Amino acid sequence: MFHWLEQRPFFFSVGVFLVIAFAGLIEIVPDFAQASRPVAGTQPYTLLQLAGRHVYIKDSCNACHSQLIRPFKSETDRYGPYSLSGEYAYDRPFLWGSKRTGPDLHRVGEYRTTDWHENHMWEPTSVVPGSIMPAYKHMFTQNADLETAYAEALTVKKVFNVPYDQPGFTKLGSWEEAKKQALEDAKKIAADMKNKDVKEAVERGEIPEIVALIAYLNSLR
Amino acid sequence: MQNAGLEYDYTVSKWFAYLAIIFGIVGMSIGTYIAFELAFPGMNEWFGQYGTFSRLRPIHTNVVAFGFTLSGIWAAMYYIAQRTLKVSLKENSFVHGLAKAHFWLYLLLAALMVTTELMGITTSKEYAEMEWPLDVLTVVVWVLFGMAMFGMIGMRREKTLYISMWYFIAFFLGVAMLYLFNNMEVPTYFVTGMGKWYHSVSMYSGTNDALVQWWYGHNAVAFVFTVPIVAMIYYYLPKESGQPVFSYKLSLLSFWGLMFVYLWAGGHHLIYSTVPDWMQTMGSVFSVILILPSWGSAINMLLTMKGEWNQLKESPLIKFMVLASTFYMLSTLEGPIQAIKSVNALAHFTDWIPGHVHDGTLGWVGFMVIAAILHMAPRYFKREIYSRKLMEMQFWLQTTGIVLYFSSMWIAGITQGMMWRAVDQYGNLAYSFIDTVTVLHPYYTIRAIGGLLYVTGLFMWAYNFYKTMQSDKVLEKEPAFASPMGA
Amino acid sequence: MENIRELQAYGYFFFTLFLVVVLYAYILHLYRAEKKGTRNYEKYGKLALDDEIDATPVEPNDKGTDETKENKEQS
Repeated sequence: MFHWLEQRPFFFSVGVFLVIAFAGLIEIVPDFAQASRPVAGTQPYTLLQLAGRHVYIKDSCNACHSQLIRPFKSETDRYGPYSLSGEYAYDRPFLWGSKRTGPDLHRVGEYRTTDWHENHMWEPTSVVPGSIMPAYKHMFTQNADLETAYAEALTVKKVFNVPYDQPGFTKLGSWEEAKKQALEDAKKIAADMKNKDVKEAVERGEIPEIVALIAYLNSLR
Repeated sequence: MQNAGLEYDYTVSKWFAYLAIIFGIVGMSIGTYIAFELAFPGMNEWFGQYGTFSRLRPIHTNVVAFGFTLSGIWAAMYYIAQRTLKVSLKENSFVHGLAKAHFWLYLLLAALMVTTELMGITTSKEYAEMEWPLDVLTVVVWVLFGMAMFGMIGMRREKTLYISMWYFIAFFLGVAMLYLFNNMEVPTYFVTGMGKWYHSVSMYSGTNDALVQWWYGHNAVAFVFTVPIVAMIYYYLPKESGQPVFSYKLSLLSFWGLMFVYLWAGGHHLIYSTVPDWMQTMGSVFSVILILPSWGSAINMLLTMKGEWNQLKESPLIKFMVLASTFYMLSTLEGPIQAIKSVNALAHFTDWIPGHVHDGTLGWVGFMVIAAILHMAPRYFKREIYSRKLMEMQFWLQTTGIVLYFSSMWIAGITQGMMWRAVDQYGNLAYSFIDTVTVLHPYYTIRAIGGLLYVTGLFMWAYNFYKTMQSDKVLEKEPAFASPMGA
Repeated sequence: MENIRELQAYGYFFFTLFLVVVLYAYILHLYRAEKKGTRNYEKYGKLALDDEIDATPVEPNDKGTDETKENKEQS
């Protein structure tokens, strides 16, 4: 029986596939339904926050920062309450990261402010002496891509039934409405910032990447 | 004799070997560059937004894993498959055409991958950063690879498949399955008609996404960095030393053991995260069991050299391969240790993890690819390898590099892990985060120097290969075992 | 939900058991075949060493694929 299999590449391949596919089937599939249930109070991202999340992804912040607080005292003391599965229900993709070259950011919105982020992204060592983080000055001049963020929000609303526009949840609305709202949110953030170019850009109706990113970082609580 | 006068056709294998050399140098130079950035952060500004650590890190991992390693694997596959199946690609122009198409599309894919990631177009999932159009292209490349390989298997003169072919088949199937499931995504443009056409959103959210990602991420290591490399050592070490595998039966058993156990170990990336407890425990337990089949192969390789250890002194190629299997044993022992829950609590998120990865990739994968291509060079070009001395130097330089790399990362990882949890006499955290960063400076510097040594070795490798092409020491006939090499 | 979990546990247990049995049966098969002289697996180690294209195959593939293929290409 064994030898028969060894000389028939097709059936051999089927055998190999069954053995390797099995683990995935048992391991992953059954826990899907449960893990995706949101914790009460978790909100889908607003358009501006989502655009900021795209900036976060574009510059691979997750290469050095985790968003996962493990249930140890040393971590909860440093970063706040440990992470719960349901808090990530609207995260596509997840951004847990795998390396803490810099600190965890899962609740960074609790203890950092807009102006802190502004200074930090412009010149990290100005607020954290000894920091080895790169400066991200280009975020102050490039604009965030609201349209793609809106496309994503609408996609998850339509395809995955993310509760945008439902009572008690984040409002998304039409493209015009969403854009207007995002600009208003951006103005609030720009008001706390000191960079002139950014302020002017927001006045003109543009949204620099840094504004969106800060909106996202502030939403991490 | 119907196959008299027939020869093996190394065209495609040779192309992939060239690519492996180029990608090796590019990918690891970037790696060294970003290693220096961690030690000297000012370097982040040298190339504007395109030179920051964060932008370059995915390019480093992708170019090394999917450029250097895959090219090396395919160079070996198109070589080993022909030889152990006793068929030549010359015999069937259709299969040969598939193999060539596989190469060219792969080259296109790799070029697009580097360009898009440099522009910051990424899905952010580690080792699966490409956006959906490139995922589609990847599937095409993979199907071509499979068709070419099974085409050769269909033509074979040798009824039984050699163990290396088993591993190559597993490599094909495993990566196909993992890649497809992990890259399930919805292109947003097709749903809404807005935004960038190449943008997509993951089919899975939050914890599920993490589960699938690390099921993939871990097993991508299994099926790219382990399975096909084992296939390579099962061929090149016996062939170069002229010794048959110590125990063929053990090699078959290790194969099934590895296939069964490896997939279960993925859970160890998510220990103390929000995935269900039993799965984390399974991940730990299976990771430890995984030592058995891994060491089965590695010990089998070392025992193959039984009674022939003098070759280790004489041939730098044997040195590369024996050290590769030693590093394989080291990293397959280190991995399970890190997967033990209490160790993981300390090691996770620290530099010990990249240290572990680089034991495996630099020591095991890198050395195997280097040795394989040098073994094939005299067969490709019918010429002696240019210089043994250069290979010796390369070997010692790179070995030193690896030792510097992993020893500094061990210390860095454990230091940082301990500092994160250290408390003073009142139970308050003893260090702020930045303290745990600045303390790492010397280790980051040592690591970068280690990387520099390794990359220097790669340049020597490329030079040796190039000079072999040009050598005037032509071989009358293909060497049977030990590769001939000049002084 | 509970049903799925139970199914998962049973599936996991029995499939693992099955694979362990198969693996042991395979070990037994490998050694028994060698002892009884029906098949010595160690000879396949030669596949890597005698791999010239005109070397005699360890076990020729008797499907006759190469003849038919060559005929096709010539015609």
